[in-house]
This record gives sequence, structure tokens and C-alpha cells, in this order.
Amino acid sequence: MTIETAENKGSGGAPTRRWALVGIAVIGVALAVMPLAFNMFGRTPKGAVMIAGFKPYMISARLSGYQSELREIDAGVRQTDTTVAAYLGGGSPDRATFEADYPNFTSFDQQWPAIDSKMTGLMNEVQANLGNYLAVAALPSFRLFPWFFVIPGLLIAAFAIAALVRSSQWRANRWVLVALGVGLIAAPGVFQMFQRAPDGGRMMSAFENIETSQNVQQIQGYFGSMAVGQGAIRLEIVPAIEGSGLDASQISARFPAVASLDANWVHIVNDMTPMIGAMSDNVANYQAIASLPPFPLFPWFFVLPGLLVIGLSVAGGVTRPRLGFSGASDGPPIAIPVNQGVS
Amino acid sequence: MIRRLLAGTALLSFLALGVGGLASAPAGAASSGRHALVGTFNLQPGACFGSAVTGTYFRMIFPNGSVANGKFFDNPDSTCPNKAYTLAVPGAQGGFVTGKYQPNPVPAFNAQGGALADGIVQPQSFTAIDFSIATNQKDPQTGLAVPPPAISVKNGKLSGQVEAWSASWNKLYFNQGSPKPNGTTPGLTAPLSGSYNAKTHAFVITWTSQIVGGPFNGFTGLWHLAGTFHPAR
Repeated sequence: MTIETAENKGSGGAPTRRWALVGIAVIGVALAVMPLAFNMFGRTPKGAVMIAGFKPYMISARLSGYQSELREIDAGVRQTDTTVAAYLGGGSPDRATFEADYPNFTSFDQQWPAIDSKMTGLMNEVQANLGNYLAVAALPSFRLFPWFFVIPGLLIAAFAIAALVRSSQWRANRWVLVALGVGLIAAPGVFQMFQRAPDGGRMMSAFENIETSQNVQQIQGYFGSMAVGQGAIRLEIVPAIEGSGLDASQISARFPAVASLDANWVHIVNDMTPMIGAMSDNVANYQAIASLPPFPLFPWFFVLPGLLVIGLSVAGGVTRPRLGFSGASDGPPIAIPVNQGVS
Repeated sequence: MIRRLLAGTALLSFLALGVGGLASAPAGAASSGRHALVGTFNLQPGACFGSAVTGTYFRMIFPNGSVANGKFFDNPDSTCPNKAYTLAVPGAQGGFVTGKYQPNPVPAFNAQGGALADGIVQPQSFTAIDFSIATNQKDPQTGLAVPPPAISVKNGKLSGQVEAWSASWNKLYFNQGSPKPNGTTPGLTAPLSGSYNAKTHAFVITWTSQIVGGPFNGFTGLWHLAGTFHPAR
């Protein structure tokens, strides 16, 4: 039996439905406001820039190339430090003369082990996170992220508020809200966020010590040291070997690592400096993304509101007759059946 | 009556604006004694005499360094004993021109990343790769429109702007202007200053410009230009 009452006739439905709709509206508003609360509109575009900025370098072959370039520098430095130094010293074990003659190389030679260790470690770390980077890059653009909350949030709030204002819309709006809830739950699955977001979290953790101004400045300094060291080999030591009577082919045969470093130095600079630039340019972008909630939580930012919206929509739609009071007159209360559901 | 009132008001407004405008207008060339130097600043090549360096040269200061104490980036290809100085050789146009752009050629780089611009200075090797200078209508690093260099003199002191000053190296661009293309003066960026001898036309110009972005982000370029000014005809 359905009996119209003052409550469900024109003032927004029964208390349970009203409570549920208010809850749904609050969830919708919260979703819509969340990007503002986390400053996503300011931060996520920086994430998009960072992902795009790293793209040319986050290729397995290119990362391996950096590793081999570091090995090439290492080999050149070691050969200069040993066989070349012995050759230029006339076979004498006394390195004092060599060090006095080539102070720029000697200075670099002393710095190189620390530089090599740091740079190789860094490249290992980056290479280890290649898969994590690719997982994040495969997500929809970071620029869209705020809208993934704002648009469903506004829709949910709008349909809930509409049903609050006009209870007659509840039947139709209820199913729309359920559909929106299902959409929210499905979105992380569709975008594989449960796999990719934790990967992104691991990448962010790994880059925590890489994408800092201090680290970038240290690498810039290392580049300066490498340039000076290689310059000493290219402009002082190789000419000295040539001056001893060896021609280019003989140098290549006798000191292949030195010749190789000399020949490939420009390529190494071509390759390394843009990567240093990308690291430097993305420090602020990384910091912006790092200040968002942890990546692994993001799928739940969709799933939990989705479950709540569905749950409240279902709860708000339960038809459950109960005795209530009309409350419409000054006279004594009269018990009448109250419809809480859709008639 | 109303017409007369309106006419009187308009006349008063005109006079007030005119007087006020004269009072607040920037000092013109004639009244301030400041003269725009429009023409070519022919560059004197850089040269080292022991620790003394003359002519036109460039230095690069590490992040957190200072103009007075560095730390300076050593260019192993420098011909100076002090490798922190990279000397310049005048380009095909003798130097830089005010009131006009001297843009990058197309292409701006060779296959090795060496800069090809040779109007202002000849490309110079910097860590084995040539770098050079150009002034472009659109700054190639920031993509912002910039005015051509403008320099003026007052009582022998030079001032002005070189927003368009752009270094190219390794297929990368570094704005080295002062102020920067957005009008800011970040870090150690300092306005252009210098001296000018009206009789001999000899000039010395210096400025500093912090690099914003790229592999040398936070470094500051220190420019020292010397030579002789030739007015445009």
C-alpha cells in the first residue's frame, strides 16, 4: 500500500532517502573538490611535463648507452692512469713527473672513482625503474587526473541534489548514480591503476634522491670535472703521445681505450648533457607530483567513493513502510503508514 | 552654456594632461643627455697575457657561486692559462648590432652539435663542442618574443638590455640576456653596464645572466665585451 504523505510528496522524500541523498551529494562534492584540496590542477600538469620530459631518455637502449659511455670513460681514465702514464714516464714507476706534467688529468683521476660510482649507481637506479616509468607513462595523461574526480563528482552531486529537491526524480537519478558509482569502481580497473599506480609509487620513491637540486648540481659539477679530465686527455696527453712519435693508428692500437674515449667524447657530451638538462628541468615537476598523496592510494580514491555512492543509492531506494506522523496539523499526532521508497 | 562648459572642461583636461605628461614622461634623449647607440659594437678579440685577460670573453659561474669568487667552469679548450676564460673572436659582422637581430642560421648546428652562428662571434670550442651567439626575434630557449639589443650612453656610462642574447651549444640554446626574456633578473643576473668613450668610440660592456633550465641550469654567464662602436648610417 502506498500512501502519500507530506514528507515524500514535495519536500524531498523520506528521512532515509534524504540522508542517503545528502550523503551521496557530499561524496560528489568531496570528489569534485578533492583536486582543489590537493592542488591537483597545479601539480598534475607538472607530472605530465615530467613524464614527457623523461620520455626520450627512458628507453632501454639509451639507458644502456649511458652505462657503456660511463664504462668507456672509466676505461680511458684507467688506461691513461696506468699504461699511458708509464709510457709517457719512459717506463719509470715514478708517477710524480706525470702528475706534475698533467695536473688537470691527475685532479680528475682522483675524483673519477667517486664520480663513476655515483653516476653508475644513478643510471642503475634509473634503469631499474624503467618498467615503473613505462607503467606510469601508460596511464592517461596526468593533466586529465583532476577531471577524473571533478566530472564524476559534479555529476554525482548534481543528480543527488536534483533528487533531493524533487523526489519524483529519484527513480531515474538513482540508477544514474549507481551507474556513476560503477564507473568510479571500474575506472582503476580499466586503466590498470592497481598495477600501475604502485609502480609509479616505486618510481617516485626511487627518484626521491635523484630529482633534487642538490643531486642535479652535483652531477653538473661532475660533468664539469669530466670535461676537464677529458680535455686533459684530448688536449695534453694525446698530443704528448703523438709528440713521442706515435701516429693516430698506433695510438689506437696501443691505447685503445684512450683513443676510443677521445673519438667518442663529443658523442658522449651530445648524449649526456640533454639528460642532465631533463633531470634539472624536472626537479620542480617531480616535487609537485611527490607532494600529491601516494600513488598506490589513487585507485582507492575512485573505488571507495564508487562503493559508497552505490551503497547509498541502494539504501536510499529501499521501500520500507513504517509508521510515522503526518506532523501537518496542530492536532494530536495521527499514525499513518509512511512510504520510504519509490512508489 | 553646456557646450561652453564641456569645451572649457576639455581644454582644462588637455592642458592638465599635457603638463602632467611632460612632468612624468621618461627623460628624453635631449633633456637627459642619454643617447641611444644604434649601430655595430665591433668586438675586440679576447686575449690572455699571463693572468690578465682583455677584450671580449665569457666565463661561467657554478650555481651558488659569485661573480667575485666563482667557482668558475673550466673550459679545457680555452687558450688561456686560466681555463675559466673562454675568449671570443669577432664574427663575420664584426660584433653585435643594436636595433637589429642577428639570428641563428638554419640549421643552427652541425651534426656534432657545434653552433654555426658566426655573425657576432666566431664559434668557439667549449668542452669540445662549438658554441656561439645570436640574437633572435623569438628567443629559441624560452620561445618568447624579445626586443633587439638596445644600448644607450649617458655621461660615458652605458646601460641597456640584451634580452635576445642567446648562446647555442650542443644543439641546445641558453638565453644569456639581461634582463631575461620575461623581464626578470634571476639569481646573479645583473643589468648591462659599461663605459663608452665618445671620442674614440671605445666601449666596455659587462653583464651577467643566470641560465634558467637545461643542463647548466643555475649557472651564470659572465659576459665581458670590449671594442669600438660604429654608428649605423
